[in-house]
Amino acid sequence: MSFVQAILDGLLIGGVYAVISIGLTLVYGVMGIVNFAQAEFLTIGMFVAWFAWAFLGLDPVLAAPLSFAVAFAIGWVVQGQLIARVLSAPSVAQIFLTVGILIVIENGSLLLFGSQFRSVTTSYQTESLSLGPLFISVPYLIAFAMSLACGIALWWFMRASWFGRAMRATAQNPAAARLMGIDTALMYKMAFALGVGLTAFGGAVILPYVTVFPGVGGQYVVLMFTVVVLGGLGSVAGAVVGGLAVGVIQSLSSLFFPIQLQNLVLFVVFILVLAVRPQGLVGAIR
Amino acid sequence: MSRKNSVGTMRMNRRAMLSGTAALLAAPYVIPAARAEAPAVNVGVIMPLSGPNAQFGINSRNGLELAADEINAAGGIAELGGARINLVVADATSTPTTAGNVAQRLITQADITAVLGAFASSLTLAISEVTERRDIPLLTMSFADQITGRGYKNIFQVVAKASVIGKAQFDYTAAIARGAGSKIDKIAIMYEDTAYGTAQANGLRAGAKAANVEIVMDDAYPLGITDTTPLVNKLRGSGAQAVFPVSYLNDSLLIIRTMRQQKLTIPAIGGAAGYVIPDFEKALGEFSENVLSIDTSNYDLAPELTERFRKRFGYFMVHEALEHAVCLEVLVQAIKKAKSAKAEEVASALRGARFTGGWINGMTGGAVQFDASGLNVLSVPLMVQWRGKDIVTVWPKEIAKSAAVWRT
Amino acid sequence: MKSRIALGVVIAAAALSPLLLDPRGYWIRVLAITLLFAAMAQAWNIVGGLANQISLGHAAFFGIGAYTSTVLLIKFGISPWLGMFAGGVLGALAAFIIAIPTMRLQGHYFALATLAFGEVMRVIANVWTSLTGGPGGLSVPFAAPGFWDYSFKLLRPHAYIALAALVIVTAIFEGIRRSAMGYRLRAIRQNPAAAEVIGVDTTRVKLQAAVISGALMAMLGTLYAQVAVFFDPDTVFGIAGISIRVALIAIIGGVGTAAGPILGAFFIIPLEEIMNDLLSSRAAGLSQLVFGVILIAVILWRPRGFITVFDSLRARRSRTVTP
Repeated sequence: MSFVQAILDGLLIGGVYAVISIGLTLVYGVMGIVNFAQAEFLTIGMFVAWFAWAFLGLDPVLAAPLSFAVAFAIGWVVQGQLIARVLSAPSVAQIFLTVGILIVIENGSLLLFGSQFRSVTTSYQTESLSLGPLFISVPYLIAFAMSLACGIALWWFMRASWFGRAMRATAQNPAAARLMGIDTALMYKMAFALGVGLTAFGGAVILPYVTVFPGVGGQYVVLMFTVVVLGGLGSVAGAVVGGLAVGVIQSLSSLFFPIQLQNLVLFVVFILVLAVRPQGLVGAIR
Repeated sequence: MSRKNSVGTMRMNRRAMLSGTAALLAAPYVIPAARAEAPAVNVGVIMPLSGPNAQFGINSRNGLELAADEINAAGGIAELGGARINLVVADATSTPTTAGNVAQRLITQADITAVLGAFASSLTLAISEVTERRDIPLLTMSFADQITGRGYKNIFQVVAKASVIGKAQFDYTAAIARGAGSKIDKIAIMYEDTAYGTAQANGLRAGAKAANVEIVMDDAYPLGITDTTPLVNKLRGSGAQAVFPVSYLNDSLLIIRTMRQQKLTIPAIGGAAGYVIPDFEKALGEFSENVLSIDTSNYDLAPELTERFRKRFGYFMVHEALEHAVCLEVLVQAIKKAKSAKAEEVASALRGARFTGGWINGMTGGAVQFDASGLNVLSVPLMVQWRGKDIVTVWPKEIAKSAAVWRT
Repeated sequence: MKSRIALGVVIAAAALSPLLLDPRGYWIRVLAITLLFAAMAQAWNIVGGLANQISLGHAAFFGIGAYTSTVLLIKFGISPWLGMFAGGVLGALAAFIIAIPTMRLQGHYFALATLAFGEVMRVIANVWTSLTGGPGGLSVPFAAPGFWDYSFKLLRPHAYIALAALVIVTAIFEGIRRSAMGYRLRAIRQNPAAAEVIGVDTTRVKLQAAVISGALMAMLGTLYAQVAVFFDPDTVFGIAGISIRVALIAIIGGVGTAAGPILGAFFIIPLEEIMNDLLSSRAAGLSQLVFGVILIAVILWRPRGFITVFDSLRARRSRTVTP
């Protein structure tokens, strides 16, 4: 029974992992940049939601769009002012620029908010639904539902809206997109801002069961990369599959191995996928 | 202004000189503080002031400030001409190697008599590598067994060691349960994986083994864990009748909350640290009521001393604040004994010695007696329980302030 | 000729500087760490610069070296000097193991794979407590001062050993760069397909570079263990503290050049220390924040590294000369 419980928990968490990681894959797909600072926007999203809870009394789940908006704005500026300048530099410089951004955001949070762990208290935090012998943690369920809603909204955006299609065009072939009259510089800003906004949204949604402190993003970095690589760097659908897969793998491995090894299994899977099928399970747009 | 009567000026000057000299001669009698100041005694304080253990570091520093201020207000250390205690505070951060670097920096930048720190055993171990090699005494209330287990000569620990505390955590619980008519056959142990948790878990294991109790779950978890659901899942599936978590603050909150969420009502007996500070109750509210925890000292055993802390800082004197005040008390007495603030001489005065009085009255055992390894052999752990916003000593019976409440 | 003199001056200055600093002081330690990191970045440079494979997991080898020599010392009393060579062998082996599945990967994928490998080693070190002491870390046992025990009361010998290490690793780097192997690596870097066509066994050459780099990095791990006397998995296998830092040092200084890692180390490490010293007491995180800002500024100003400053100076000077 704990086996089924673990799979259930894994799927619920996995949905959230997907939303958190979609941003990373979107940025890579459209701009070709691996944004090492992506997880820091998770931290930003969590802090925004926490302050909304502390000062406005907003439930973190309701504050999620606010987190999205704040991260979107910050991402827009960061892309325009910093990342745009290294788009044609060696990839090495791009990687380390984002590393610099990571350092700035993490330590900026430390300076602004202090190092203590903050958590929220919500009415449903200690609730769970019973499905026969199984427990469905209510915070997990709500996080999953929000992630699903977000995912559907994104899918609609990418398919049906002009912006979404323009972004996909830019991802496929920037030169051709420019010839079609698409302002690629704007698309890059959109993609980056959207990507980090999504990660921040995910952060707000997990706040009921995760405590926030300036270094919390760092704990999700390798996990996020595992998700996108499993699914295929650049593929949004892949991030969804990858997220669910990672959630389940992590959850199951905690049953058979000591908790500390939870991530080891993940990393080994990560390396194997890279070695055997680098384009991931679903494959990339490019 | 420049064209003054020259005679007048000379008279002015002579008058000035005379009055100045008179003032100088009179000064020592009029202004006692103008007497030559004895150089201050620099005491290094290295605590985690940032990171997950920041609250504990701040509490410890508060305890030291209270103790130091009282000593200085009473005129400093008489044997050294009224020398004041100067606390040189540095942030150990949360990584052991940084703590070591900070210690290096501190020692080379100021003439330090001793170092007090660093709450978390992992940080203290790293700092002790530096202080031992520089022959500077380190006083601490961290209690992982390794601290006094390496044969180092310059380390002094004022509380019992982790394996002893862990064993007491189990033994006292078994006694309390017996007293309530309950019998425990299966227990779960979970602990954060740094030196502190690992050492204390060893003690828990020893206690359970000696009592022939089955350990159905025995898991270490990473210190920065952010989601304890898988851990508590395992706990639920294990069938344990009581769980013994050894955690700092964040993990303690996560564990208790997740247990409630999964409707797990078995008794949880904490391993000190996160389970015995005000933040625990603040975050958990009603869920903290009647949670038991082992502890190395408690403020209700000496309220005449510890209420001063509450008055100044607004919360009860947490054990790390009290124990650090004890460290400073012991250090000052050693300085007095050695009549010197030189690190090596103070260390000799500390080795194998016995200290009583002042803040030391707040310790179990009533005195501090260091053995050859630097361990205080008189310190006895005690069991505390949350009652509202306070923690109350409930075991051993001889020092308990209230009877333990055992609920299943 | 001029560059030879300049080199000589630099070496002389480097050799004398440890003597100028207070042997019990703080700055000699900074110098030793700076020289050590310069050597580490140079070892990374062999793979990152010559083979153009950006590794973000070099901490894996570093940690293997630190743990090997220390565990051998603790369990069997073997001198760290010998333990260092044992670590080198294991580091080479680890590099071989990770290189085989990942050498074919390009750019970002390779970086991510090495990142994951570094983390794998860290988790293993954290969990295999009976061997490594787990998260509690290891202390290098106290030994009476003596050269063959690699134990010194003061820091000056450590600075000199680090200097010697830097010279050796740089010599190896230059040796590879100027050799046939370096020629082949350059060919692969510029056009892998063309290189294959002219008969370069790309896999073998890259593997050789990886193995040498891994072995050197591991040996430097022993140097670190002996000067730090205490370390834990998070420190020696750390992404931010080791892997990213050594890559950063080489890149800021100028990846692929012999002087790059040295310039980078002498810029970054003292800067970090000064920042920490000045600012960490004011507010936690301020020093690192300033460091991050400087990093961003440097990358924006000189995406190809400090070394390009010299290129542009040289270009300006020789503008009148037709190429």
